[in-house]
Order: sequence, then C-alpha cells, then structure tokens
Amino acid sequence: MLELKGIYKWYNSGNNRTFLLKDVDLSVKAGEFISIMGPSGSGKSTLLNVIGMLDTFDQGEYHFLHESVHKLKEKQRSGLYKQYIGFVFQAYHLIDELTVYENIETPLIYQDVKGSERKAMVADMLDRFQIVGKKDLFPTQLSGGQQQLVGIARALIAKPKLLLADEPTGNLNSKQGEEIMDLFKELNNEGVTIIQVTHSEKNAGYGSRTIHLLDGMIQKNN
Amino acid sequence: MIKNYFKTALRNLWKNKATSFINLFGLSIGMTAAVFIFLWVQNEMAFDNFHPDKKNIYRITNSIQVNEEEAWVWESSPMLMAETAIKEIPEVEKAARVVINSWAAPVLGINHKLFSEKTTAYVDKSWFNMFHYDFVAGDAAAFGRDPFTIILSQSKAKKYFGDANAIGQLIKVDTVNYTVQGIIKDNPVNSSFRFDILLHMDGRLADPRTLKNDKTWNNFGYITFLKLRSDASQPLVGTKLNDIINKNRTNHNDKVSIQPLNGMYFESNIQYSSMPHGSKKTTYIFSILGLLLLVTACINYVNLTTAKASLRAKEVSVRKIIGAERKHLFFQFIAESLTISLLSLAVTLVLIQLCLPYFNTITEKQFELPVSSIAMWKVLSGTLLFATILNGIYPAALLSSFRPLNVFRGRSVLKMRDGAVRKGLVVFQFSLSMILIMGAIVIYRQLQYIQTTNPGYTVSQVMSLQIPSKSFRFLKPEARQTFLTSIKQELQSQSSIALVSSGGNEIVDVSSASSGNSDWDGRDTTYNPTIAHLSVDADFQKMFGLQMKQGYWFSAGNEDLNNYILNETAAAEFNMHQPIIGQRFTWGGDTGKVIGVVKDFHYKSLHEKIGPMVLSNNQGGDAFLFIKTIPGNIPKAVSAAGAVWAKFIPSEPFDPVFLDDSFNNLYKTDIKTSQLIFIFSIIAIIIAALGLFGLAAFTTEQRTKEIGIRKVLGASLRQITILLSKDFVRLVVIAIVIASPVAWWVMNKWLQDFAYRISISAWIFIAAGALALFIALLSVSFQAIKAAITNPVKSLRTE
Repeated sequence: MLELKGIYKWYNSGNNRTFLLKDVDLSVKAGEFISIMGPSGSGKSTLLNVIGMLDTFDQGEYHFLHESVHKLKEKQRSGLYKQYIGFVFQAYHLIDELTVYENIETPLIYQDVKGSERKAMVADMLDRFQIVGKKDLFPTQLSGGQQQLVGIARALIAKPKLLLADEPTGNLNSKQGEEIMDLFKELNNEGVTIIQVTHSEKNAGYGSRTIHLLDGMIQKNN
Repeated sequence: MIKNYFKTALRNLWKNKATSFINLFGLSIGMTAAVFIFLWVQNEMAFDNFHPDKKNIYRITNSIQVNEEEAWVWESSPMLMAETAIKEIPEVEKAARVVINSWAAPVLGINHKLFSEKTTAYVDKSWFNMFHYDFVAGDAAAFGRDPFTIILSQSKAKKYFGDANAIGQLIKVDTVNYTVQGIIKDNPVNSSFRFDILLHMDGRLADPRTLKNDKTWNNFGYITFLKLRSDASQPLVGTKLNDIINKNRTNHNDKVSIQPLNGMYFESNIQYSSMPHGSKKTTYIFSILGLLLLVTACINYVNLTTAKASLRAKEVSVRKIIGAERKHLFFQFIAESLTISLLSLAVTLVLIQLCLPYFNTITEKQFELPVSSIAMWKVLSGTLLFATILNGIYPAALLSSFRPLNVFRGRSVLKMRDGAVRKGLVVFQFSLSMILIMGAIVIYRQLQYIQTTNPGYTVSQVMSLQIPSKSFRFLKPEARQTFLTSIKQELQSQSSIALVSSGGNEIVDVSSASSGNSDWDGRDTTYNPTIAHLSVDADFQKMFGLQMKQGYWFSAGNEDLNNYILNETAAAEFNMHQPIIGQRFTWGGDTGKVIGVVKDFHYKSLHEKIGPMVLSNNQGGDAFLFIKTIPGNIPKAVSAAGAVWAKFIPSEPFDPVFLDDSFNNLYKTDIKTSQLIFIFSIIAIIIAALGLFGLAAFTTEQRTKEIGIRKVLGASLRQITILLSKDFVRLVVIAIVIASPVAWWVMNKWLQDFAYRISISAWIFIAAGALALFIALLSVSFQAIKAAITNPVKSLRTE
C-alpha cells in the first residue's frame, strides 16, 4: 500500500543539523495493523504525520498506492490524503461547536456528498458505533471514550483505506482504551489498514507488527 | 453546506457573547449612522431625477453685469422670455414659468380663516406637461381650462378641508376666488419644487396692474424652464437666448445661459434663489464621513476576530485535516461576518425607525417610511455588502491560511504582521474619533464666538412685523407715510411697548444691495461697488443701540429726508472729500448730504465681511415694523401689537418674529453642522472605545499567567495596570499625533468660510487628545485592574 525509502527529516539550528527522521525505510501492505513505539521525542508522531502527508520530509522517496508522494505538489498531496486516509488523535480534536452528528458529517460535506446520501452514511455510522442516542450532543457533553468513538467514526465516514491513529487511547482510562483497541482490531479484520502510535506494549499487541523508533531511526522490525 | 456555515456561525457568536455584543452593538450604530448619511447623500444626488423629460429640461439663467468685477446671477427671467423663446428658437419645444411667492406671500382665505402660506406659486398650465406630478384627484386639464384654478398638495388639502372632498372648493387668494381643481401627491423629498399650492399663472396676470408691471424686459420675476428637442445643442440655444435678450434690453450687458434640470440643485452662484440648493462638497464630505464611520465599526469585528484567531486555530486545523479546502474555510468565515452583519442590519432597521423623526428634523426633509422606499433598500444592501466584505475578507483570509500541523505543535499561528495591522486599525479608529472631536470643539468655539461677538447692535426683546407689500404697494408715497406713522403711533401708545421703529430690512440680515446706484463728489466713474442699503427712521438708532462715529442720526422731521448716513467701511472705502460730513451723496437719483458715519455693525452673518453700507431716511417705504417690549411684558406686548395689526391690516395674518430667532437663523446650517459632527464624534469614540475594550479584555486574558507570576514576584496593582495599559496608550498617542495636523487642516478650511473667525489654538488639540486618552484608559484599565486584583493563585492554578 505504501513504501518509504530513505526518508530523512531535519531542522537546522545554528551549525547543527538535528534529525527528526533518519534513513527510515518502511513498507506497509494493505490490511496490516502496525504499531509504532518509542520514547518521547523519538519521531513517532513525525513519522505518522509524514505517512499522513500532513508533514513534509527533506530527503527520500514515498510511494502511496501508485503515486510518488515526494513528487506531488501540496494540493495534490492533500487531495490524496483526503481520499484515502483517516486520522484519529489523542486529544480527539472534535469541533466543539458541532454536534456528534455534524462532526461525523463534516468530512462528507467537504467531499460534496449529497445531502440524502450523507444522512444515510452518518446514520449507519452512528448505528454501528451505538451512539445514535448521542447524536445531538456536543463533544463537551461526552466522556473521553465517547469522544474518541466519535473521532473514529468521523475518520471512517469517508471510507478511507488507511487509518492513522496518534496515541488514540492516551487520554482514556484503561477500560475505554480497551474498547477502542477492540474496535481497531475489528476494523482491521474488516480490511482497514491501520498504523497507530502508542506508548503501551499492550496496545501494540493488538497490531500485526510493531516498529520501534529511537532518535528518528527504526530499531527493530519484527 | 451553506446551512452548515450559518449554523456554525451562529453557534460561535453565541459562544462568545461578550465579543459578539461588542461587534453587534458597534456595527449597528455605525451602520445606522452610515445608512442615514447615505440616505441623505442618495437623496441629494437624485434631486429632480423623477421627471421623465429631465434630460431635456433646462432653466434659463440670467447674469447681469453690475460693474466690472461683479455680476448678479438670477434664476429668474423677464416674463416675456418664455413666449419669445418658443416663437424664435426652433429647438425649444415647450416652456413653463413659475413665480414662487416666497416673499410677498398671498393670504389664503378658506371658510373665513386666513392662512399666510409661504409655499404658493403661480405656474403656467404647461407646467404639468413638463414636470411630473401624481394627481390624486382632478387633473392638469381641468387646471388648464380656467385661469382661476388652484392645485393643492395632499397635505395642504387635508390641512384646509380635512377629509372632505377638496375638489370644487373655493379659496380666496388675497381678493380673488380660485377653485380647487386638482390634488397632487406631496412633493418628493428630492424635488427642487417645494411649493405645494399651485395657482394658475393666468389668474395672476388677470390683474392689469400686475400685467403692466411684469410685461417688460426689465423685470426679472419669472423662473423659466424650457424643454428642448433632444438633439438641441445647449450652447447654441444659449446664444440664441442671448440674442433675444440683447435685442430687447439694449445698453445692458446681460449674459443668458441654460442650466440643465439635473444639476440645478447643486448651483451655488444664484443670488436669492427661491429653491433649495445643496452643496456637492458637503455631499462628498458626508459620503466620506459615512464610509469612515462604517469602516471604523467594521474594524472592531476585524480586530476582535483576528485577535482571537488562535482560539479558532484548532477548529481550522481539524477541518483541514478532515478534508476542508481553503475555500471552504474562507467561505465559512465570510458567512460568519455576513451573519453578524445581517444581525446588525436588523438592529439598524429598528434604530432607523426610532431615529427617523430626529433625522427628519435635522435634515428638514420628510423622508418616507424607509422600508417602503427603493432608495432605502439600495442604501441598506450597499451598506450590508460593504460591511460584509470589509469584515470578512481579511479575517477569512488570515484564519483560513493556518497550516494544520503548526497549530497542533503549539507554534504561534499569528505572525507579527497581523499584530501590526491590528494596531494600525486601532490608530485609524482613534485618529478618526479625534479628528471629529477636534472638529466639534472648533465648530462649537466658532459658534460661541458668533454668539458672543458684539454685532454692533442689540436685538433682545425686539420683535419684527413685516407689512406685506401689497397692503400699500399701490398707495401714493404720502398716503404710505401717513399709514405707517399712524400704525407706529398706535403701537407706541401701548403700555407694554417701549419703542417702535421701522426699517427696510431686519438689521440681522440686510439683503438689499445695489451697484451703480450712487454718486458723490470725487468718485472715480469706474468705481461701482455693491453697496448694502438700509432704510431707517429716527428711532432706529435707539432701537438697536447703534453707535455714531461722526455726525448725527436722522431727525424725526422731514429735514433729513434725502440725507444719508454711511457706515465706517463706506467712509473708508469711498475716498470722499474731507470732511465727509456734509458731502453731497446721491442714492437712486435722490441727492442729499452725508450727515453721519455710523460704527460698523454686522448687518450680515459673520460669514460675510462688513462691506460699505448706506442708510437712508426713506420714510413711508419701510416694510418692517420693530417693536421693543418693556422687559417682562412680552406676551402682553404681542397681544397688544396683534390688536393694532388687526385694526390696520385686517386682511393679513399677524405673524410676529423675534429678532433673536432671526439672528439664530443666520447660523442654522452652522448649528446643524455642529450637531451632526457632535453626534458623529460620539458614535466614533463609542465604537473605538468598545473595540479597545474588547481587545484589552482579550490580551489581558492571554496574559493572565504572566500577571499571576508578576504578582507573586511582588508587582503592585499600579505596575500591573501600567503594564497592560501602556501598549494601548501608545496607540492613542500615535493617533493624536496623526489626527492633530489633519484636524487643523480640515477645520482651517471650514473656518475660511467665515469672514470673522476664531484662530485654532493648541489647547483644542490638547483637550481632544486628553479626552481620547481618558476614554481609552477607561476602557483598558477596567480590564487591567480586574486582572491585577485577581488572586494570582487562581490564575496560576488554571494553567
């Protein structure tokens, strides 16, 4: 599905060049569930953002499906990730002014999906996540776990091929965290490719493969 | 998607209630002021544009050369001009004349009640073929059939006849009966024709004395309109009219031109126009003021929105990541500004309804119920569009430009540049407020100067009565004098009246002047200045407290009948042989000698310089009676005078005018300007203060933690207040520096319009600056002190 080859990302401060990512090679096949682990500052989130095309890199090649991402212009890149990638964040990042229903609906609006079709899709999603009763509530009225459910529902509504999750359970208690991870497993079984960043070995255990990062370099690939 | 935009917009407004209130309130009053100004400007620009033939209608202008430097420009023509022009100039299709009775108003007798109406006019029957009128009852054809017909406006018909049918009713105009044959809608506010009682011209000319008086080429009493063929050349018709006048008025050096109907309202060179006129300059100045007030109101929205951008950054970023393109976000923010503009517009509509009566009082126009007028909607939608664009574009462009990851990483999303823009806008707001405040102070000082300047006479407790010329126009001079003397004697005998005098004009505004009418020994024959003329009686000096410089005042008898008094300026400018007293002086063919020089007094408003003036002792010709009441006896004196009036001039309504009012009337426009500038400056400073209040609240909120730390480290309340107010005060100081020279320049221009004026002193700028600074400090320090007295533990805990 995607392949990173010799990815470098750095910033310069004075005469020193600090590497955020250093010679990262990674290939991900469709249907995989990958966990990225590593200490704080090891470049986990940076790597995830590069994969998600939210961030650029300074050197290397990135192929996503059949596109060479490193050759694309910003606009084409954002077109690509909007079509194929869904994001889940540690802090949920729901829009506070919108209800649960509207939060889930928003990506469809931006993709010019027709009103009636939108309604059906959002209804399916609410049903599936069993949050129909909460559809008119605002994010602040929900628990963290419920908010993250909405976040995932929003990420999935446009039927992405790849789901990127940056510490999705980081703000949740263990029970809520477990539920979310079970959901991820279920989604993965249905064919969604997932890459998650996590601190927890337990959560990493849900995945099919774990990548360990240290100082921007991949340590061990099992 | 659009629905979604507005939904979010409303929720956001609701969430930030304080900011939304500041925006809504400021924008509403700014918009209300702007809408009123634009409504007025629109009306000024659209004068007389409702006549279907407006493009081909012209008014004849006559320019009479009175001496080498000076020409008198008249809007009226000789009576015979119209018919001659139709006969001799093929391009002229129609002609219509009007005689507006603004001075010698006829008295209307309706059901034994007398009405003195200043808005009557005699018009040709062709008038209704040339100009557009909406007939409510009757028609123009009926008006044409009979010379003694009259057409009334709806409101006049209601005034005289109530709800009864006015058609066919009789109205006695002076001594002649006219029949009402038509009711027209009231003149639109943008019509130059303010007369609403239209009498048939033939009725006027049915009086053989009037006909004889008018049927000459020397009497310019008829405002004459021509409708030209659409292919006619304006200068060529002018030349042909010139030929006509030169053929009929030999030895004169008149120039005739034609003035297109559109543009007539902005004429400024007409002497004694009986139509309303506006000034293009004023219209432009007010348009700019309206725009500036609107801009200053929009600035609050822009500033508060961009200042709070960081609070919206997360939302923007999330939206971008889940698929929003920049255009989606751009339109979302435009929708937000449109929402607040629409809400403000709704409030504006309410405010307009509430303030309309005051607006009509100030403009002295009857603007109709605004919601029903197209002009109103044009102005409203223009204002809305302008506000939305102004409010929307910059914040929308700025907010939609965030790059999502920067926000999540906590990098500052606001560039320095944006802060500078905001500061610039605050400086702009305060500069505008300050210019207006300074303007208001200068105007107020000038008006005060006018009120306190000694005009050289006193008018307190003096009322004036104008004897209509027709009451004694056809009397012989001796009979006139007897008539005047006996009415004066009768008045003088009243116990509540201290003194009675008569004169040719009210002393506060002497309009009579002529040129080439006077002679004296030693006069350079080419020297023909315009000389003001005032005819007075023996008691006039005492009545108004005039001071003599040399010689003596007219005596009561007949011995000074053809003698003259000059004012100081005349004595200085005429270059007469010395001593001036006793010199020969001829005025209008009557020769006598100069018996005195009176100290200069302001016989015109302080806008005009005192020129040379001749006072004559023209007994019997005076049209004004002046009555000085005994202090504390005004009501008694008025009723006593009324009784005497009814005895001598029963055919005319009694209409006393106190000269104090006449005096104040001279400065009506100036007083109005001062009121308007005062209102505008209040609005501008309120808006600016609101904006500053909002910004201060926000920055204080942002610096809560910093303040907490400083307090823990031992900063005093004063130090914290200064810390938070400093930046804003600096902006206001910059505004003072910018505003002062601009205000000085503008107000200096305004003062040029007065021949007698104050000089602009530095304290005006200091006072205005101090006021603005005070208001700014008030709005900022409230927040600052609030932050400074908060327990630091509280603010630090929230972090």
